[in-house]
Amino acid sequence: MATEESEDHGHFLPAVRDWPRGYGEASWWPFVTAIGLLVVYTGASLYVIGRGTDLVSSSIGLGAFAAGWAVTVLGMFGWIYQAFIVDFWDRGSHNGGSSLRLGMLLFLGTDIATFGAGFAYYFFIRAGGWHTEYLPESGILTSVLVINTVLLVVSSFTIHWAEGQLQKGNHQGFIQGLLVTFLLGVVFIGGQIYEYYEFIVHEGFTLTSGVFASAFFGLTGIHGLHVSFGVLLLGILLVRGLRGQYDADRHVSVTTVSWYWHFVDAIWLFLVAVVYIGSVFGTEFSPF
Amino acid sequence: MAVSPELVFSVLMGLLLLVVAGWLTRLEDWQAYTPVGGGGYGESTGHGHEEKPAGLTRWLTTVDHKDLGILYSLFGIVAFAWGGITAMLMRVELTTPGMDFLASFGGVGLYNALLTTHGITMLFLFAAPLIFGFANYMVPLLVDADDMAFPRINAIAFWILPFATILMWAGFFLPLVGIDIQAAKTSWTLYTPLSSTMQGTGVDVFLLGFHLSGFSTTMGAINFIATIVAERDSVSVPWSKLDIFSWTILTQGGLILFAFPILTAAVTMLLLDRNFGTMFFAGEGGGAMLWQHLFWFFGHPEVYILVLPPMGLVSLILPKFAGRKLFGFKFVVYSTLAIGILSFGVWAHHMFTTGMNPRLTASFMAISLAIGIPSAVKVFNWITTLWNGKLRMTAPMLFSVGFVQNFIIGGVTGVFLAAVPFDLVMQDTYYVVGHFHFIVFGAIGFALFAAMYYWFPIMTGRMYDRRLALWHFWLSIIGGNITFIAMLILGYGGMPRRYATYLPQFMTWHAVATVGAFIMTFGVVAFIWNIWQSAQYGKRVDSGDPWNLKQSDQFTNEWQWYEGKRQTMLADGGEEDADDAESNAAD
Ligand SMILES: [Cu+2]
Repeated sequence: MATEESEDHGHFLPAVRDWPRGYGEASWWPFVTAIGLLVVYTGASLYVIGRGTDLVSSSIGLGAFAAGWAVTVLGMFGWIYQAFIVDFWDRGSHNGGSSLRLGMLLFLGTDIATFGAGFAYYFFIRAGGWHTEYLPESGILTSVLVINTVLLVVSSFTIHWAEGQLQKGNHQGFIQGLLVTFLLGVVFIGGQIYEYYEFIVHEGFTLTSGVFASAFFGLTGIHGLHVSFGVLLLGILLVRGLRGQYDADRHVSVTTVSWYWHFVDAIWLFLVAVVYIGSVFGTEFSPF
Repeated sequence: MAVSPELVFSVLMGLLLLVVAGWLTRLEDWQAYTPVGGGGYGESTGHGHEEKPAGLTRWLTTVDHKDLGILYSLFGIVAFAWGGITAMLMRVELTTPGMDFLASFGGVGLYNALLTTHGITMLFLFAAPLIFGFANYMVPLLVDADDMAFPRINAIAFWILPFATILMWAGFFLPLVGIDIQAAKTSWTLYTPLSSTMQGTGVDVFLLGFHLSGFSTTMGAINFIATIVAERDSVSVPWSKLDIFSWTILTQGGLILFAFPILTAAVTMLLLDRNFGTMFFAGEGGGAMLWQHLFWFFGHPEVYILVLPPMGLVSLILPKFAGRKLFGFKFVVYSTLAIGILSFGVWAHHMFTTGMNPRLTASFMAISLAIGIPSAVKVFNWITTLWNGKLRMTAPMLFSVGFVQNFIIGGVTGVFLAAVPFDLVMQDTYYVVGHFHFIVFGAIGFALFAAMYYWFPIMTGRMYDRRLALWHFWLSIIGGNITFIAMLILGYGGMPRRYATYLPQFMTWHAVATVGAFIMTFGVVAFIWNIWQSAQYGKRVDSGDPWNLKQSDQFTNEWQWYEGKRQTMLADGGEEDADDAESNAAD
């Protein structure tokens, strides 16, 4: 109604109910988020300084690092809450969510580049010849890998199913599908932690174990962070869904999170094919 | 005693901070709407009122694209000052062949640190943020959007920047408080194994800040693309009527999207190598070549990330003072897109001397020569726009014409470097330094100055001092050409880049370059003084069309918005509220 009109042609005020209250274009949350990031990076700096010199203790750095993340997450929650959650049904969907959809697609584009740099390293070392001693002794292909891959692929289907239920107006089915997806994500992270534990503690295959270890931990690590972030996003969807938000017409964040989740799944399949399975093939023959 | 050489820098940094603080408080006075503690709203000279809190809180909490545009611009100018001071310290040292001026402050090590911070600051903290500043203020107005697509992300992206800068400059001021980390001396290219093995945690702190700053740029790019594509009013501004500056910002966004994450990922790997024993850039791993590939896969598009929007600014401003529309508008747009795509296929022209496969070098040479064509198309479009036009030599126009002149020299010297045989001789000499300074200062800097003067009335409601602006222009173009041509000549003579000391035979041209640099510095001082003074005390603009754009039918969206805002302010006796803003945004 009036909101739709004024959003199209009037002066759109993005932060009417935000803190500080009573203004239309003021919000503390971006500044809080940025301060959090400053503390995160300062903490990392102190950690590095502490390791390299005896000027500060490294643990102070780690403490600041953790505290910084807490502030950053607080700031981001404040922002997401004010921008999307509060007044969900009253505020109307700004330009049908097309900015948000496009924003997510663009973000995924940047992610392709991020992973691309890591894969570039892996292909670079593959081109330079390949040796069995790069790999952990009992091999890289474990049952955890198989289970995890199945879990992640299934989770792509469950979130798709959940979206379908929302379209049909079955809110309860939507919640159930979302919950299953969320749990599959959590189990995947658990599986990856277990896999890391086995490699590091029992096999002695660590971050410093040579050129393959750098690629392996680098790529699976950054992917694991992406899954964790995805689980966080799914958790937010779940809470909002349980509070009665979303319906067949209002589900922009469901769509964008589901794109993100499919993307992370696709990266995983590529990673399994190239880094896990590909590394084994390379030990027998080198195409280069 | 070890700290005392750094004392100079503490004073410099302190002064710099004082200038910022002073500027901010002034700014507050100048645009404060609420008397402290009072309930009423005072005379309003700019934008804002009930939508924003008063004083410092307003600036810390703002999510308004116009406010953030001003903050970005201020930040860019502060960074410009630091980049300029470091450049001058180096130029003074280079006046004579030996190590003398800097000898008692840290010698060659300090020189290398200055070299690094000068390059990084000018590219990442001056040029890019100033471009983002103008884009923030103007793009939403040009495309008839309410604000940026994501106002809060816009604010996060801005605030990350000064915080990242603290870490990036920390190597210079932390030693003063007793934390003796070494400033990074890696040069802006951060080549491994130098950067992966260099002692000193200052390198890590710098890399962490650099890493953080990358997120700011990437968030900004996503925001600009989403704004132009999804927030644009498709009725009043269809794609066919999108202005040239927005086109270049859109293309720039596309480049940032794929270039910056590569840099961020490469810096992450470098940090892991330095601190956690990974082997990404170790000899058995990716080695020096992988770094160069990743860095330049980012680094060449970065050149166009920085130069495309300034080209857009000049394409926008030049026709306004030539009394006619931009000649061949479509070709300028197409050449922008062509440059954007080609720019990802030329990175190895920075690596001709690394011993890579000759067949590869030949193809990179071919594409690098090809990318000169769309750039030349633009130059011809600018010249034909001027041809037989009714030229009005205002400050923005002078800087636009200066841009074209400098861009021709910078571009032609660059085409030569794209040719392998020439590059094998000139690689790592002052010829390269002269070439890219013509582009970075002579072109990018000039376009940003042009934009600053052109939009000064919108951003401050006042006019700059024309006399000082003319001084700024003539000192900059004369000083710039003296310095950078001297650098080209030094390169022909075989003077290598990045050295604090040199053979006596190069002294004459080095001295010439230093003289030119001082001339430029006077110009820059005139610029900063002018902006500072005129923003507060300049003559008030007395119409919504201070450049007489209606005459040549080029009264574009941002000026229409400005005229609407002025009318509402007059009608309301200096006050406006959201409803009025609504009506003027609609006109
Ligand atoms: Cu290049």
